[in-house]
Amino acid sequence: MFKLMGALMLVSASGYAGWHVSRSYARRPVELRQFITALQMLETEITYAATPLPDALAGIAERVDTRVSSFFDHAAKELKTARGTSAREAWSAALHRYRAGSTLDRGDLGILNSLGHNLGISDRDDQAKHLRLTLEQLKMAQARAEETAAKNVKLWNYVGLLGGLIIVLALY
Amino acid sequence: MNGVVRVRPGIYGRGWNEVLPVLPPNLEKMIAGLPDHILARLEEIRLRRDRPLVVGAGGQDFFLRSDGQSGSVPDNAYLTSGEDLERVIHNISGSSFYALEEELRNGYITLPGGHRVGLTGKAVLEDGRVKTLKYLSGLNIRISREIKGAAAALLPRLLDQAADNIHHTVVFSPPCCGKTTLLRDLVRLASNGVPQLNYPGRTVGLVDERSEIAGCYRGVPQMDVGVRTDVLDGCPKAQGMMMLLRSMSPDIIVTDEIGKMEDISALEEVFNAGVRIIVTIHASSLRELNNRPALKYLLQLNIIQRFVLLGRSRGVGTVEKIIYGHEATPRR
Repeated sequence: MFKLMGALMLVSASGYAGWHVSRSYARRPVELRQFITALQMLETEITYAATPLPDALAGIAERVDTRVSSFFDHAAKELKTARGTSAREAWSAALHRYRAGSTLDRGDLGILNSLGHNLGISDRDDQAKHLRLTLEQLKMAQARAEETAAKNVKLWNYVGLLGGLIIVLALY
Repeated sequence: MNGVVRVRPGIYGRGWNEVLPVLPPNLEKMIAGLPDHILARLEEIRLRRDRPLVVGAGGQDFFLRSDGQSGSVPDNAYLTSGEDLERVIHNISGSSFYALEEELRNGYITLPGGHRVGLTGKAVLEDGRVKTLKYLSGLNIRISREIKGAAAALLPRLLDQAADNIHHTVVFSPPCCGKTTLLRDLVRLASNGVPQLNYPGRTVGLVDERSEIAGCYRGVPQMDVGVRTDVLDGCPKAQGMMMLLRSMSPDIIVTDEIGKMEDISALEEVFNAGVRIIVTIHASSLRELNNRPALKYLLQLNIIQRFVLLGRSRGVGTVEKIIYGHEATPRR
């Protein structure tokens, strides 16, 4: 009886671990897509309306999904409250906070971070160029993330479950 | 005729307080640490990349040192860094340089409170016109002073009692003699009215092409320009005068720094509509006015009834002379 319960616990724990890994693969393309939508909004705000960054970022925070929204909200607040903070500092501070619970990899964060270096410091045409470049890079990253997700989501689900079973069989 | 209007140093506003927030903390500390007698007369803060930090007060330059001391020679002065400039631009623009395109084209930005920041750098041209500035290398933060009452002593001389209105007036002077400050107060008084003089106040239309008179921030006057004043901010003078004339039915139209023929043509329309004008001109004498074709034409129209010459003989804003219209008409 105890053996059976132990086996069940082992299988479910290992299955959960597999599912956890697979979920992070599945979530990354979604997050990237949300960032792409948000940055497209930012591009419109900057090129057509020349909205100042704090307002533009706060406006975007209201219109996108919760997780990405918290990033833009934080960046906007940083810019509004801390006097003398440059857009770069606010952006990277927000990114730093965001990365903790995020599934984005180093490459993705690097793309976003380098946008921060150019944000707000040049004229509209130049801002549009930087944003478009970032969007292209994010779209490529998203395509790659989707590919990896297609391969890995099922794999890790099985690895978790089957791995658990193998250990159980080996110990039984 | 010598006037009596003079700007006393004691009545300068505390405008410097309002510009401090745009400075980075290190510069803010240096400037706030200046002695009171300099602060009270602070006119401008000049930041030039890699060159000494200078503040102008009471017509004198002071070089600041990083230990908070100041002197009249640039030795050991604090050198403004590129980062300082960037911080100021960040603060002014809300970290959004791209939102300043129009301002960069004009070469200045108006701050809340009506203070203005002049900019230099490398001009980027498009079709021969300045499109924007890049590599900003110099900033001049000019603290605007609103001196209420600057024109109080002058106003009685400009009143046309018969018409309950102001005479057509030209205020002229060399640069930095307080034209704009005087004009602003004149607008305020003309608009509010002065009960002691039995002058009820008139509707004033103000064309403020360079946002200097009303100091508009996002279209809203930051200076007191009176209760009956409509301000057309950032609008070319000639066009603006026509717009106001058609739309706002003003009794007085005010603008500054006229000089082009199109300005004079617009003024003619204004005269014809029976609206009074108050304008300023850069010139140090009537003869100099006469040497400029457009202004000579204006004099020949023989419509201006008061010419007010400002100078600095007893401080900025001294009314040196008031010339009546008939004394000024040039010989044809």
